[in-house]
Amino acid sequence: MSGGADLRVRDLAVQFAGQDKPLFKIDTLDIPSDSSLGISGISGAGKTTLFHCLAGIAQPSSGQIVWGGTDICGLSDDALGRWRQRNLGLVFQDFHLVDGLSMMDNVLLPACFDRWKPTPALRRRAGDLLTAVGLSAWERMTALLSRGERQRVALARALLLQPAIVMADEPTASLDPNHRTQMGDLLLELVRTEGATLIVITHELELLSRMDHCLQLEHGVLRQLGAA
Amino acid sequence: MMQGFNPFPIVGADLRRNRLLVWVTVLLVAISVATGIAVISQERALRQGSARAADDFDLLLGAPGSSTQLVLTSVYLRPQAIPLLAGDLLLQASTAPGVRYAAPIGFGDNWQGHAIIGTIADFATRGGSLPPTQGRIFQQRGEAVVGASVGLAIGATFSPAHGRHRAQDDEDSHADPRHDAVHYTVVGRLPARQNIWDTAILVPIEDVWHVHGMALGHVASASSHIGPPWDASQLAGVPAIAIKPASVADAYRLRGQFQTPRSVAVFPAEVLNDLYLTLGNVRDLMSVLAVMTQVLVVAAVLMALLVGFLARRRQFAVLRAIGASRLYVFTVVWIEVVLLIAVGAALGVLFGWGASNLLSHWMASQLGFAMPVRLGATEGLLVAALIVTAAIVATLPAWLVFRRPITEGLISG
Repeated sequence: MSGGADLRVRDLAVQFAGQDKPLFKIDTLDIPSDSSLGISGISGAGKTTLFHCLAGIAQPSSGQIVWGGTDICGLSDDALGRWRQRNLGLVFQDFHLVDGLSMMDNVLLPACFDRWKPTPALRRRAGDLLTAVGLSAWERMTALLSRGERQRVALARALLLQPAIVMADEPTASLDPNHRTQMGDLLLELVRTEGATLIVITHELELLSRMDHCLQLEHGVLRQLGAA
Repeated sequence: MMQGFNPFPIVGADLRRNRLLVWVTVLLVAISVATGIAVISQERALRQGSARAADDFDLLLGAPGSSTQLVLTSVYLRPQAIPLLAGDLLLQASTAPGVRYAAPIGFGDNWQGHAIIGTIADFATRGGSLPPTQGRIFQQRGEAVVGASVGLAIGATFSPAHGRHRAQDDEDSHADPRHDAVHYTVVGRLPARQNIWDTAILVPIEDVWHVHGMALGHVASASSHIGPPWDASQLAGVPAIAIKPASVADAYRLRGQFQTPRSVAVFPAEVLNDLYLTLGNVRDLMSVLAVMTQVLVVAAVLMALLVGFLARRRQFAVLRAIGASRLYVFTVVWIEVVLLIAVGAALGVLFGWGASNLLSHWMASQLGFAMPVRLGATEGLLVAALIVTAAIVATLPAWLVFRRPITEGLISG
């Protein structure tokens, strides 16, 4: 287990060309390792852009994002790719599984990015994760799975390489109410078991309430959820 | 063991997921390659097959007229009427220095569609180099040797019908008692030559002359004699004379000697060469068309694939977001394109080879000589050029995917 990574954000701003003020500006944000952060906000507030910046997918206009001592804003594109693969597990609202692959192969996919063949240990881990999320018959194609099952496969994929950070963008939004609770439980339980730092973008108040830290992105700034 | 990354799980998943596009793409490429392969290999097969059929004819004499027609009629037994050579030329040719044998080629009759050729024993055995596989060569009037594919057994007898075609001549044969009165007995079968002569029946030229009411080439006291020496006063005209010269020098000398106002002397190989030049031009034109077809198909395929890749930009963005390098997605796209083109090209070679064989089979039945289909370097180059071009051009969609920002892909619908 790699353990979590702490997050330190300083003077982070994203401003698109042609706009007279930034989409958001975050002066300071500190999240200790192994803890969880929930971010909420209305549509268009910039949650997804913030998510992309924190995940090293998009570069901010200015500022620093330091994960476990590494300022990811200073990394090249290739270095960011390597950093994401080694440190970050991502869960998307729409799962983004590869439909032509089985459950097992989807979970093992991140292992194909830096080696020819997954090691037996990785295969065992993939099986353990699929079991942990309550799935069997791992050779089934993911295209045949329900939405809830697909999101559980996506969670197992995110955790395969024991990332220090897990980030989820609306992980329960496209699930029915029963599966939402179940998915929320799995996400929190497994990430805590793995000891990873968790960042979740969500509208679900129930899920937010179970996070160590809850923030709301509103009018370009991050506030404590519920603060005026 | 390769280290680095493994793009094949994604490549395999993409191909499985887009089966229809994959099959259409592969088939389009295969058809365009098959067309090129078939054109090139057919032209070669026609050239080799026709050349092989002419191997037995070193020098051919005929009445003045078209050399091509003389060759087509004599070598390939095409049913065309050609003027007769004066009979004394057969004697001159037979006795000229440097001639191993000068064989009259007399046609005009058939048995159930098989051309009956009047000639001499030396021609039937090609000067002894082609002994019968069964029986013996004809030794007297009324005997026949049959080509390898003639359905007559040794000892069988038959009567000729006038003309070169079975259908047109059935009525004529009944109307001509002279033909009905002649009976040939099969005494030998010649080995297979893979040309029209396998379907021919060879008889003494004297029998053909006799059936057609012409002089028999010998004085009355020697009327049962067959073959040379001929009697100048008893020689009828013949459509063609096949000369086997003793040497290459003799061949050229004899050609000059018989190139007169009364006769033409041609090397069939030379006449064929002129035909090949024309064929070659057609081949070049068709090759250009085939290559253009390939270029168009590949361009269309690449455009379709490019549209497909752009539609899947979200998948590539997700791959990159979860840790795949740019090189990884570049390689996935590049392999998918090259794989489709390469598999299409390989199938195209198979289709082209198969189609060429079918065409050869059909054309052999029409032309009367075997057309051996072999794939050569040209076809290899065609396929290699296609794959190399695809490998180069495939870098375009791969590069477009490579350089696209992840966020742009993730937020796309």
